[in-house]
Amino acid sequence: MTTFIPKLVCFSCKFGWGYLNTNGYREQLKNLIPVTCSGKVDTTHIMDAFRKGADGVIILGCPEKECHFQTGNYQARKRILLLRKILKEFGVEPERLKVELNLDPEGTRIPIVIGEMRKEIEKLGPLSPSV
Amino acid sequence: MADKPKVAIYWLASCAGCDEAIVDLNEAILMVADAVDIVLWPVALDFKYESIRKMEKGEITLAIIHGAVRNSEQEEMAKLLREKSQLVLAFGACACFGGTAGLANFRSKEDIFNWVYQDAPTVVNPNMNRPQTETSVNGNTLTLPEFFERVHPLNDIISVDYYLPGCPPPPDLIANAVFAVLEDKLPPRGTTLAPSKPLCDACPRNRSKPLRLEISEFKRIHEVEANEDQCFLAQGILCIGPAIRSGCGETCIRTNTPCRGCFGPVDGVDDAGAKFISSLASLISADNEEESQKTIDGIADLAGYCYRFSLPSASLKHKNKE
Repeated sequence: MTTFIPKLVCFSCKFGWGYLNTNGYREQLKNLIPVTCSGKVDTTHIMDAFRKGADGVIILGCPEKECHFQTGNYQARKRILLLRKILKEFGVEPERLKVELNLDPEGTRIPIVIGEMRKEIEKLGPLSPSV
Repeated sequence: MADKPKVAIYWLASCAGCDEAIVDLNEAILMVADAVDIVLWPVALDFKYESIRKMEKGEITLAIIHGAVRNSEQEEMAKLLREKSQLVLAFGACACFGGTAGLANFRSKEDIFNWVYQDAPTVVNPNMNRPQTETSVNGNTLTLPEFFERVHPLNDIISVDYYLPGCPPPPDLIANAVFAVLEDKLPPRGTTLAPSKPLCDACPRNRSKPLRLEISEFKRIHEVEANEDQCFLAQGILCIGPAIRSGCGETCIRTNTPCRGCFGPVDGVDDAGAKFISSLASLISADNEEESQKTIDGIADLAGYCYRFSLPSASLKHKNKE
């Protein structure tokens, strides 16, 4: 089997998850997109990521009750739940889309979270559209 | 006759409802017929494809094409009309986004053929015959168009100059579009010839919307007796109006039916279904993940609703519906 390296896109809330500027992680993680709030990530952005070849999308938001903008993380979670339902109906594994609400100001857990997701996507294989 | 602009009206994978809409111009169609020379209109007039093939490039001023592209014959005719026409107008939801026929993209060609020619309870086909693009009969070859793997909107196949969505487009927008061509008052190419605001903006029920919409349980329109004056979303009934272009005349809303999205996305949005998910998520009232999931599980056929008219132009190209 040829080695499959999943392409992941990570939207990361700047308030809860650190900037990753200093510790060199940034260079290792392609497609890490810092956002003002996880609630700012529109479903069209996520669909766009899948369309352009992402095998998985993960959104990192603030913990429950701790969103800087009150409910952005809840909105993100509801959006992801809805979108996972849509993905399933499209025949795409819903596990390819995840949201993690947690706190990590240094951003040190970001590579770990992404690594875990990568392992799961490796099991699923590449997202291959029908035509 | 010779100096009148030539207009072709053609159907691809279409129900001919769009032709009906053109006829619904009523008296105005007489003015149109006076002003132009119709060179092709299969549903109404008898013209031969051969006469189109003999035309010069760009001889037709306007080709009004409705219907999606599902087979090779439709592809061939779309390309022929593109070559012979100065302007191509994608007319109706099927040509613009793939239309309801595009829901077939939830299934593969093989699935569709299996059902239609074998598994459907009314089918008797012991020899397992399937349509073939070429068949030999007594030394002669019979041909059929090739059925594509997917339904395509018109702009997948040819370049399109203008879009007029709707199922079907309303007569006032048709008249505006046709007269804009005749009077040479067209907007820049690529424009959708309909208002750019979302349906909620024009909806007669907009004022009945509460300050904050909160939905904890979704209902389908046939399961309840919907209030005729209140916003559908406020009643917990799915209505895709927030993400859909206005201009349709709100005919569905006025007959107490929620918007299904035949006018497609507003300007600047490609995927109305995905955009609707964003707005819908913010309306769901739930305190935790379990509650949200429960509410969302209660929505029947969400993808079918969000992409009822636009599946072939959805950003996600997909495998099969499970």
